[in-house]
Amino acid sequence: MAANAQGVAEAPFVWHPRSAAEAWQLKQTLGTEGVFTAGATLLRTQWESGLAVMPNHFINIGAIEELHGFEIDSVSGTGSFGAMTTLSHIRTSPQVGESFPVLVEATRNIAAPSIRNLATIGGNILSMVGDSLPALLLYDSVLHWHDGTNGLQEPLSEWLSTASAHAAWKERLLMSVELTLPILDSNTKRFVAYHKVGRRDAFTPSVVTAALTMQLDSEDRLSDVRLALGGGQTIPYRLESIESYLNGKLANKKTISEVYALIVEQFEPKGDTFVPVSYRKKAAANLIASELWKAARTAR
Amino acid sequence: MKDSMKPVSPLDTSSIPCTINGSEINLNVPPAKRLLSVLRDDLAMTGTKRSCDIGRCGACMVMVDGVPVNSCLTMAYQCTGKSITTIEGISASGMDPIQRAFLQEGGFQCGYCTPGMIISVKALLDHNPDPSALEIEEALSGNICRCTGYGGIKRAVQKAIEWRKEAYESITD
Ligand SMILES: Cc1cc2nc3c(=O)[nH]c(=O)nc-3n(C[C@H](O)[C@H](O)[C@H](O)COP(=O)(O)OP(=O)(O)OC[C@H]3O[C@@H](n4cnc5c(N)ncnc54)[C@H](O)[C@@H]3O)c2cc1C
Ligand code: FES
Ligand code: FES
Repeated sequence: MAANAQGVAEAPFVWHPRSAAEAWQLKQTLGTEGVFTAGATLLRTQWESGLAVMPNHFINIGAIEELHGFEIDSVSGTGSFGAMTTLSHIRTSPQVGESFPVLVEATRNIAAPSIRNLATIGGNILSMVGDSLPALLLYDSVLHWHDGTNGLQEPLSEWLSTASAHAAWKERLLMSVELTLPILDSNTKRFVAYHKVGRRDAFTPSVVTAALTMQLDSEDRLSDVRLALGGGQTIPYRLESIESYLNGKLANKKTISEVYALIVEQFEPKGDTFVPVSYRKKAAANLIASELWKAARTAR
Repeated sequence: MKDSMKPVSPLDTSSIPCTINGSEINLNVPPAKRLLSVLRDDLAMTGTKRSCDIGRCGACMVMVDGVPVNSCLTMAYQCTGKSITTIEGISASGMDPIQRAFLQEGGFQCGYCTPGMIISVKALLDHNPDPSALEIEEALSGNICRCTGYGGIKRAVQKAIEWRKEAYESITD
């Protein structure tokens, strides 16, 4: 556990690599003794709670220029966010808000502004339960890693489904995450929603985090439905069978009650002493049902 | 060996250059030491308060390059080349209108959270002089007060906005 008593100095070595290759090389040399540090906000929580031991070596990735900032190409409908981009940078950017509104809403719901000024999107992703993840899943995000070779690309959904079982990624440096905008068919209306339900209004751990986007066509049929759920210690994922079920369905009362039942049946959250699984299932089902209800109300 | 491929040792207190309240300084401290400890224990600047130590209460808030950060989460090496403003720096040339507003509107009781609150309000109003109620709530969402019930704090923020506007108008008239 980290030196927690007042006045005790914390004493790791701190490395400041200037390039991804240097950082990666350091990690190979130091092994488990060395940890990549970005904003170090999650790491601090882990050290203080005893979940992780403060390592002997920090590999500070903040000085690697190519990890900072983002680029959005509105023609191709893609956005690439460097792993060191702070959550505040995303939260306050009108450009990101225009292209990826669900991501901005997600960052607004993470911690508080002072923490978002330090915390990075890379650190949030690699926590495996970060509140940005349901939003990123909607945009079919792809992770770009430096692994000592020419770089490795991996869909976020694939990484999330295997990350807790295979630790090989811990040796790599996350460079960026690439998002793709859903294509809007002409003659359709797009709905987007992001909800984080906590036990307080703000600055609270999530009980359920839900992100949703869908289109409604001129005949009130749903299409391109994307639904991601997470919250607490649940690793977020897309509920693809419910998405398929909804595609082509009419936005009406019958669809809403069916989808409510499907979410309660199929969503598999992790419960804890404070909030059991059954509550999380119902909260998620209610959130999605209410969004469908809003869409149905605009249906002709 | 390139400089970047040499570590800064925990015992190496070779200095970290930064600016604190407008004065350039070289911090001769271990690189991973928390900024909160540097301020309070090494520099005897005790206006910045210590409470939860894990980013949850906001008592330790300072501004780094004009934005609020929790000094209990920030390590010395993360301050390299940055400009840090503490509560002492805000009142360097007399009481700030935000501080006066907290006094006038009863924005505190025990006062422990107040330096952190004032830093967050200052950072907000420097960027956004006329924030909405929602923007104020978001900006203060990381500052917890165990005494006042927030009513007085909200009034203080409104009063500070008013006074800053009046001061601005009197200069521009
Ligand atoms: C008070 C408080 C409240 C919080 N509230 C929330 C919340 O509401 N929602 C939420 O999602 N999170 C929350 N967090 C957790 C945390 O702040 C976020 O997950 C944050 O985005 C982590 O980013 P970071 O840069 O600080 O990561 P770090 O702590 O620096 O790193 C996290 C992990 O990722 C690794 N890592 C980081 N970047 C890279 C990279 N580029 N390549 C390889 N490995 C890397 C690190 O080695 C470490 O294992 C909170 C934290 C605190 C202290
Ligand atoms: S002491 Fe830093 S946030 Fe509580
Ligand atoms: S005035 Fe006592 S904690 Fe805020």
